[in-house]
Amino acid sequence: MQASARNQKHRLATIVGLLPLIIFLALLLYVGLNAPNFMTIVNLKLVLAQSLTVVLSVIGLSAVVMAGGDDVVSGGIDMSIPATAVLCAGIVAVMTGAGQPAILAALAALVAAMLVGVVNAVLVTRLRMAPLLATLAMFVAVVGITNVITERKRLNLNVESIAALRGDIAFGIPLGILIVAILSLLAWFFLHRSKWGLNLQAAGGSRDAAEISGIRVDRLVAQSYLVAAFMGFVTGFFTLARANGYSPGAQDNLLLEMVLATFLGAAFSPRRIVTVWGAILGAVLVAAISIGLKTIGVNVFWTDLIKGALIVIVVALSAISQWAQ
Amino acid sequence: MFWFGQQVRGGTFYQMGERIMKKLLAATSAIAVLSVSTVWAQGQLSLDGKTIGVAVVGTQHFWDREAFNGATSRVEELGGTVVAVDGGRDNQVHADNHDVLMNRGVDAVISILGDGAVEPKFEALQAAGIPVFSVDHPSPHVVNNTTSDNYYMGTTIGRYMADAMGGAGKVAVFNAFENSLRICGIRTGLWKYVLQDYPEIEIIQPELAEEFANAPEDARRQTLDLLSQYPEGEIDAIHVGCWDQPAIGVVQALEESGRTDVLVTALDGGPDTLEIMAEEGSPFVANVAQQPRLIGQTAAENVARYFAGDTLLPQTYVEVVPINGPEEAKAAYKELGYGEIN
Repeated sequence: MQASARNQKHRLATIVGLLPLIIFLALLLYVGLNAPNFMTIVNLKLVLAQSLTVVLSVIGLSAVVMAGGDDVVSGGIDMSIPATAVLCAGIVAVMTGAGQPAILAALAALVAAMLVGVVNAVLVTRLRMAPLLATLAMFVAVVGITNVITERKRLNLNVESIAALRGDIAFGIPLGILIVAILSLLAWFFLHRSKWGLNLQAAGGSRDAAEISGIRVDRLVAQSYLVAAFMGFVTGFFTLARANGYSPGAQDNLLLEMVLATFLGAAFSPRRIVTVWGAILGAVLVAAISIGLKTIGVNVFWTDLIKGALIVIVVALSAISQWAQ
Repeated sequence: MFWFGQQVRGGTFYQMGERIMKKLLAATSAIAVLSVSTVWAQGQLSLDGKTIGVAVVGTQHFWDREAFNGATSRVEELGGTVVAVDGGRDNQVHADNHDVLMNRGVDAVISILGDGAVEPKFEALQAAGIPVFSVDHPSPHVVNNTTSDNYYMGTTIGRYMADAMGGAGKVAVFNAFENSLRICGIRTGLWKYVLQDYPEIEIIQPELAEEFANAPEDARRQTLDLLSQYPEGEIDAIHVGCWDQPAIGVVQALEESGRTDVLVTALDGGPDTLEIMAEEGSPFVANVAQQPRLIGQTAAENVARYFAGDTLLPQTYVEVVPINGPEEAKAAYKELGYGEIN
């Protein structure tokens, strides 16, 4: 009796866990059938190209969620990644615009990004602040710093090596897509196949059990914030390439899509947990939905409403699924 | 309350109306030509069977919305099908929307506003053989750009502001886009050019940068900070270099802090700012009104002309209406079809 009740509960949890994916696929099918030229190779390239910054951000966020656990409030989360990306984009745009070599600008951006990561790590692991609040505060602060640096002005890009991430082709594939694919493979290896990655997942899965088995959880959590900051740094270059310069305000949309993609990605995992592949697929799916809705002429505000509603649904269903288990 | 014959600054209200009418007559000479061309368009111009993508940076602000509505309605009147994409006042989203239009397979694109992020998109559209017609965004990759007479706007607002300040004093300027949007470069650049002849007018440094997406509230906060730095008598005017939405917040801040002695000037002359200008004792003293709906309509007609085989000039200029003081604001409000301010 008890066993069958448990089985029923487990089945319910599985169905609830899969619901976000089902909703998304239904949406995708709807736009696929209604949007001209949606099911084409050209459109696939467009979807991938427009999802690059989100893919890079979700890799960073996945690392943090794995280390801290996937409870949105008490687990690991880093809302400051999009702000770190625009900070790096702003620094590079300002410095190269002033005639500094791109390599020096990149180094300055890297230092700034890692500083953000260190502050996040200290706030969460030393001061024991809730990651959601700590990194949200950092998001606001870092955007403020970026506004000071850039004077909140649009800055055009004049570095061809960065612009190459947008337009160049390598081995028949757009260079940007190729680089992000390689980075995704590396991220998958380090987060899912290396000893460090397995320890990271153990820390996020059960902090107490991990500590008993000798894993230094705080150190891993701190490292995950550094990884996230580094991904923010990389995202900054793609942000620059995509916009052909620095445009103020790019962080807001990125934040929304990063959170949506990462937690939607959990639906791809058999255990309904955040994984790198899940998050990356989530990012591509979010871009596909956005493009599809635009192609069939859905008003931009409806698109935002749909994205916001999907975040609520995904997070709510994830909570229900955990409760059911 | 005004009645015809009442004395007001600059003559009787009747004369004022007459002056505005003259300005509008000049301004609407373009409309007259366009109306003729529209009549002609009914017979000759057509977008039948054409799908035209219309990308607008946002529809929250009057100017953007009007230009967008003007373009889309005229495309439909000419028999074309509209595919509309809205960037939600996010320049990046706006730029990416051009990819969506290209993939959708439109015959031409009308692109309204946007910063440098759209340039590679224009280039890609051009390479794909899809002609681009921009609004307020000159670019080497577009067939034609329809815009206001930005040169006249910049010099006129410079003269009006200098006159209102009595040729001397300190002015702060919101100038986020001078180096990134060409139209703003022209407007603010020429405003500064005029001020070269007023050596006693000093532009406060550093210049201010307004937010693109949340301009009124952001400008309100920045103005409050500015006023605490510059006590009474230390600042005489605040100018918004390229548009008028931040000026709404600037006036709010001046009223909140009881500093309505500081003059405000801006550009665009949308109904919201004309209403503020028309209020008694308003610090908002000068503006130059554009005709965004006509600009959008003109862009759509240019697309039809292009398909009819006409050779278009790189830029089409639509006339503007200079507005000096509250009475001209009221008169322009009425003549531009926004209603009546009593």
